[in-house]
Amino acid sequence: MEKAIIAKNVTKKYKLYKNTKERLLDLITPKSYGEDFYALADVNFEAEKGDIIGFIGINGSGKSTLSNIIAGIVPETAGTVKVNGQASLIAVSSGLKGDLSGRDNIELKCLMLGFSRDEIKELEPKIIEFAELERFIDQPVKSYSSGMKSRLGFAISVTVDPDILIIDEALSVGDKAFAEKSLNKMKEFKEKGKTMIFVSHSLGQMKEFCEKILWLEYGMVKDFGSVDQVLPKYEEYLREQKKLSKKERDEYREAILKKQLQLVQGIN
Amino acid sequence: MKSALTVLKEQINHFYLIRRLSVYELISKNKSNYLGMAWEVINPAIQILIYWFVFGNIRENSAVEVSKEMEPVPFITWLVAGFVLWIFFYQSTIQGSKSIYSRLRMLSKMNFPMSIIPNYVIFSQLYIHFFLLFFIIIIFHFSGFYINIYYLQLIYFLFATLCLVFAISLITSTLSTIIRDIHMFLNSTLRMLLYLSPILWQIESIVDNPFIDKLLMLNPLYYLIEGYRSALYGIDWYFIVHWEYTLYFWALVVVLFLFGAALHVKFRRHFIDYL
Repeated sequence: MEKAIIAKNVTKKYKLYKNTKERLLDLITPKSYGEDFYALADVNFEAEKGDIIGFIGINGSGKSTLSNIIAGIVPETAGTVKVNGQASLIAVSSGLKGDLSGRDNIELKCLMLGFSRDEIKELEPKIIEFAELERFIDQPVKSYSSGMKSRLGFAISVTVDPDILIIDEALSVGDKAFAEKSLNKMKEFKEKGKTMIFVSHSLGQMKEFCEKILWLEYGMVKDFGSVDQVLPKYEEYLREQKKLSKKERDEYREAILKKQLQLVQGIN
Repeated sequence: MKSALTVLKEQINHFYLIRRLSVYELISKNKSNYLGMAWEVINPAIQILIYWFVFGNIRENSAVEVSKEMEPVPFITWLVAGFVLWIFFYQSTIQGSKSIYSRLRMLSKMNFPMSIIPNYVIFSQLYIHFFLLFFIIIIFHFSGFYINIYYLQLIYFLFATLCLVFAISLITSTLSTIIRDIHMFLNSTLRMLLYLSPILWQIESIVDNPFIDKLLMLNPLYYLIEGYRSALYGIDWYFIVHWEYTLYFWALVVVLFLFGAALHVKFRRHFIDYL
């Protein structure tokens, strides 16, 4: 099988500064200031073409960072990501221009994705139809509700037909009818053999839709495997975490962070 | 050197995109005003009126001598000829400087050649410049300065301005994405530059010191503005007559561009980390 995504030793380091002075000193002097924070530490995974992978993990585990790196938006600090084909990310804040109307935004976005004028003319009615914006399509986007915005963003992204689709919690704002429609569209993609990545907290949707699950914990891969293998473990983990007292939870976190540090030092 | 070629290639390959995006840029900027695009003309017109009133009165509305062979020209024509170029330079440099960090959030969601961002912002100002220039040519006609062969050098000086602004914007857009203060610094520097360029007052007429005069000529705007005036008044082929100055100008542009391109290419992958 052909690989769609190969991520090797992907690490993403952010710097936490206490104040702007530290930030400036770090920028202009060779010495390092500020505290290191690893959003991702030594993440390895591979996706075959046609895989549908769900990213799960508690808040701050690095799901969004990883999907941003795969989409090519955020650069990785170390390691390599190889993506075969065009990746397209759909997020709730999907970069629309507030002053322009929905129609102008469609044209603008398609233009930036490299479509010609004729292709855009062809795509435009399809996008408008899918987004179900009706009278609002000629209104400025800033007057849209968040559901409408994400519908428009989603409609653009799926209609331009990318090779790899990354969906970052984008379906959680739409209403049920639209979520269903989107899921149907994604099933269509699934039949076409496209690779998809799905970031969500809704385990129900994951179960229904994904084939594989990548479980992230504090920026590290905790588990990677089929849905039936990983999801029960994750549910068990969530239940156990809930039972722990605050102190126990802190201890657990300490231990994990220590492990993370070792991992990072290992590859450096 | 290599990064300069990369940047140049991106400009040429995506020229269609630059043109289209610059139109959207202009539309989205003026969409929320009732007068819309008209503000792009009203704004400089108001500025010109106040400068005409103040600086015209200071010099008691006397005429300006632009060339030894010519009769002195009315101050208002002299002012608008310089000001039309200044407002283009000022607006596009300011917009160019903040072009990347203000659009990054939207643009980074797709694989998009970053180096065309400052360029399409500059281009959107160019339409306004054409419009204003057209007005000014009409003013010149009514003042008795007709279209002449020297108008051809307007094309050359406009191109030179574009090159200069793009080179500067490559540097400032990168730096101000990393350190936002650079944009503030640029803002105040430009305000100063208005008074250090021959736009509102004739430098030779007030400062009677050849050394300071030469020093002020280091400002590349001096070259461009004098070139514009040469064309509009039909004095001479400015860039040939002052060929040493032409050499200096282009050397400066090339150095700025090489530096800007190197800086831009080095940092562009990491722009998003600085937001």
